[in-house]
Amino acid sequence: MSEGHSQSYDRIRSKKTLQEILEVATEFERAARDFYSDLIPRVSKQIRYLVEELAQEEQEHYDLFTALASNPEIESAILKEVDTPMSDRRFSDAIHLPDLGDSPDDQAVLQYAMGREHAAMEQYTALAESAEPGPIKDLFTYLANEETKHKAELEKIYYETIHSGGV
Amino acid sequence: MRPENYQAKSHPPSNEYELFIGPNHPGIEGNYAFKLRLHGDTVIEGKADAGYLHRGFEKLMEGRLWIQNIALVPRICVPDPVPMEVAYSLAVEELCGLEVPERAQWIRVMQLELSRLASHLFTFGGHAATTGMYTPSYWGVADRDLILDLFEELSGGRVYHIFNIPGGIRRDIPEGFLERVSSTLDYIESRLPDYDNLLFTNQVFVTRAKDVGILNQEQALEWGVTGPNLRATGLTFDVRRDDPYLVYDQLEFEVAIESAGDAWARAMVRRKELLESIKIIRQVLARLPDIQGPVRAPIPNPLAWNVPAGEAYARVESSKGELAYYVVSNGGDKPYRVHVRGPSSMHAVQVLEWLSVGARIEDVAQIMFSLDACPPEVDR
Amino acid sequence: MADISYKDKGSILNPLKNLQFFGRKPVTEPLGPRPASKNYRGFHLNDWDACIGCGTCQKVCDNAAISMVRVPNAIEDPVKGIRPLRPAIDYGRCCWCALCVDVCPTAAISLSREYVHVCTEDQIDSYFMLPDASGMHGKPFAEGWAKTETTDLIDLERQEMPEMAPESRSDNFDEIVAGYDDQQALLEASRCVQCGMCHDACPTHMDAPEYIRAIWEGRAEDAVRWMYQSNPFSHVCGRVCTHRCETACSIGSRGTPIAIRWLKRYAMDKIDHEQVKAIAAEGKVDYLTGKRVAIIGAGPAGLTAAYDLVKKGHQVEVFEGLDKAGGMTRFGIPEYRMPYDKLDQDVDVITSLGVKIHYNCRIGQDRSMDELQNKFDAVVLAIGLQKGRSTRIPGSDHAQVRAAVDLLRMITLGEKFEIPKSAVVIGGGNVAMDIARSMARLQRQEYGEVRMTVTALEPRDQFLADPEEVKEALEEGVVILDSRGPQACTLDEEGRLNGLCTWRVLSIFDENHRFSPSYDDTDEQIHEGEIVIEAIGQMADIGLLGEDLTEALEWNRGRLQVDENGRTSEAWLWSAGDCVNGPDVVHAVADGHRVAASIDAYLGSQESVEAGA
Repeated sequence: MSEGHSQSYDRIRSKKTLQEILEVATEFERAARDFYSDLIPRVSKQIRYLVEELAQEEQEHYDLFTALASNPEIESAILKEVDTPMSDRRFSDAIHLPDLGDSPDDQAVLQYAMGREHAAMEQYTALAESAEPGPIKDLFTYLANEETKHKAELEKIYYETIHSGGV
Repeated sequence: MRPENYQAKSHPPSNEYELFIGPNHPGIEGNYAFKLRLHGDTVIEGKADAGYLHRGFEKLMEGRLWIQNIALVPRICVPDPVPMEVAYSLAVEELCGLEVPERAQWIRVMQLELSRLASHLFTFGGHAATTGMYTPSYWGVADRDLILDLFEELSGGRVYHIFNIPGGIRRDIPEGFLERVSSTLDYIESRLPDYDNLLFTNQVFVTRAKDVGILNQEQALEWGVTGPNLRATGLTFDVRRDDPYLVYDQLEFEVAIESAGDAWARAMVRRKELLESIKIIRQVLARLPDIQGPVRAPIPNPLAWNVPAGEAYARVESSKGELAYYVVSNGGDKPYRVHVRGPSSMHAVQVLEWLSVGARIEDVAQIMFSLDACPPEVDR
Repeated sequence: MADISYKDKGSILNPLKNLQFFGRKPVTEPLGPRPASKNYRGFHLNDWDACIGCGTCQKVCDNAAISMVRVPNAIEDPVKGIRPLRPAIDYGRCCWCALCVDVCPTAAISLSREYVHVCTEDQIDSYFMLPDASGMHGKPFAEGWAKTETTDLIDLERQEMPEMAPESRSDNFDEIVAGYDDQQALLEASRCVQCGMCHDACPTHMDAPEYIRAIWEGRAEDAVRWMYQSNPFSHVCGRVCTHRCETACSIGSRGTPIAIRWLKRYAMDKIDHEQVKAIAAEGKVDYLTGKRVAIIGAGPAGLTAAYDLVKKGHQVEVFEGLDKAGGMTRFGIPEYRMPYDKLDQDVDVITSLGVKIHYNCRIGQDRSMDELQNKFDAVVLAIGLQKGRSTRIPGSDHAQVRAAVDLLRMITLGEKFEIPKSAVVIGGGNVAMDIARSMARLQRQEYGEVRMTVTALEPRDQFLADPEEVKEALEEGVVILDSRGPQACTLDEEGRLNGLCTWRVLSIFDENHRFSPSYDDTDEQIHEGEIVIEAIGQMADIGLLGEDLTEALEWNRGRLQVDENGRTSEAWLWSAGDCVNGPDVVHAVADGHRVAASIDAYLGSQESVEAGA
């Protein structure tokens, strides 16, 4: 997740509308879903389950965001501006996809996935903190919880797989 | 012999008849029968008939682990169970080379003497009953109950204490126990004049018991009579003094004797021993607080305890006479053979049969009780 | 002796003196049961939470009054040593001796001060009771006879195992543990209450109660016979088994569990090797089935399967990539824990039965899987976990960052490499301890001093390594730092590795005990080391399968999918041991038995089909 992408005005603005934020988030999940889907045939069958599960998870998140955009409560607030959190840049960066090589192994996939989930978790947590109480705050809180759960799940898998047996 | 198996003599002389005493008879502490042939009121033959309490203790012990037998042995003599536990434990300890901690030895002596007191209180009450006096039986049993209370407090069981095990005793005495023993002893001692008035110096009893069932010393020795029954013939033999075990060699006491050898002499020996036992226990009470330490030597896991091969003979002086356990181990986790050398089998069979000949029928029950035999031990 | 003042004839008036009793206060005892004494041996109480259903009370009961009864909804956990059984008392038999209390390994049973039970004829069954903590009639009665230190008949202390002192062991690879002598073994075996929790917990269900009893009775040969019923790696398991048996041991609930592993070792060491071979050969069929089985990997799983199959008359060939058999027990475990000659004996027992091992034969290079599939009736994949995992922190691709398993293998093979003057190990498991202690020995031999640091993510009380291993490593001069999260390998200006940078771990698991590390980046440390050794985990090297077979096989979360018999989705291929079940020697042995049984059944059914046709 290297630094040094284009420094557009958008990315240093201190406020963003909810719409903008949701668009980035939707794009974040879509990109991830496609990334994992493309990876499925390239990894060894032994670890394919992992990539399949990740793609499935991202698809669910993508569906969630698509549904949100049409939620009337959210729609009415969609042009409100909220503080751009510190984590925004790392989050947007995560949309850009790394090159995991021809046939990445389980550890590489897991490390990448954990990094992404961590960025998303930070982003939503920060947004939830800055938002005023109401449906928007609830939304971000919910999303932050989702990502936290997902990250915890991945970390557990990572520990069990990689630290498999210091016996 | 069971009553249903009893066959009358085919051609008894017309002036003789037979009586069957028991198997539940107040003349003896348990189920035991005695078959009499009489001429008029005079007994011309007595036949002991054991078997009503038969459980086969000695055989049962061969099928049980060394530790399990501690729950079995007190049943061999219900009124005086402690010597059973101690003698068995002493024999096993000898086989294993177990060193019993000193404190446990003193506590064992205290139990042995308390048990003797309880047994004698029970016996003289029974003896009195066979002469038609029932108050001493009530008193004796009621006062014995105070000793059972002490045993309950000490061991958790009133009658089957199951408290002495190879290696020592199962747990230390409860707090304040010695004071309670002391006050119970004071009470029992204060009762002795009452007993004397009621029984021992009562002309009715003396007249009934004198010259009844006379056992001479020579005959007693020949049959292996021990305990108060032997001492009533004028011989001072007491295992506690003549072959001391535990800490009896550190205790001061006298061996009670009488010389007449009759039922009265036997009762008097027990009466004197009440006081001697109280004296012994008081010495234990005085010494015990100074003897601290463990009460049991470490013993192996009871489920995997092989006792070294060999044989051991341990004897103690029970209230009824010399009691010994002869234990043989072949190195296994159960005894190969246990033989109980109890006093009661000769007292209740040979001695009773012999003494009853020539006695009058009304004295038979008294002779039985004056010998203080314990039927389960005959039936072991 | 004070004589009693009686007249020879007594007085007729004496009894009248007792008329004074009419003037005394009568004694009145209250109705109802009097309270029993504090030590009273009344009806049983049983704390069901403490009771593990071991049945020791039943064994000591001299009247057979106790039966163990299965209780619905009670916990059943063989690994922890808990059975859903509780003692039921037949009060028609009980003699209240309280031996059950004194012998109870967990101190769950006690007797209460309750002693009255009355019933009518039709309630006669009420004398058969399943006691719990509430007592015979559910009414609160105080505890009477209960376990105390004096009354306890369980020997809680283990026979101490003699072992080499740190100063005499830390510069050589001699075996540390001396083993029990006859007397120690007998005493240790005598502690066993024969509850069989060990048997239930053991993955291969070794008949530990039977062999412990045999050792106690001085029949070491019979003990070995019992062991070979379920474990042809008895030398190995007598030394380095993870001893689930001891974790489950009922004596362990209050004391130190029976040293079951050391007892096994004792019996194996006691019996002459040729005798062991004869015992192992007992029950081998005297015919050949004509079926051929290939086994890939001569570790515990593969050779156990080979042992079982060859005894059933099948022809077994084992393909081993290295020049010696034993797998991780040889190439992963240092010699000071597992002497090679003892391992050789275990292997020799198996080969003496007719198992053929092809050494230095790598499947995938020297022979292909296709060849095995075509030439053999069944193939077992027992390749273990031979590849070390990497942390992949920055700098971990440096040539001076090594995998612990690779170094351990090199040490066993005697391959020369430059001993680092200082080294850092990442990991808190037994592999980390093995490499740290081996390397410390080499350092002491080479330089006369030890500079080994072990850094582990986990706090000390959650180390995966055996506490014994950690203790011994410390004694040998290894520095062990817990709660350190590796961040990067550090290099000097010339690009040489010179250490490892770690942050302190604030917490490693979340409240649900899931891995969720958080670090304190202000507490940064650099640990000096010419090399960094990663010992965090291993994985199977499945390259030998080839792409097509990998694709054809079913997988389950990164591991080869096998059914309960160890059979893969391909009918001719079974898999066993660490590569499917994770690392553990005794699990591998259990697995070997399982696949052997499945293969034997499969080959047998083939036979009958052929015979029928």
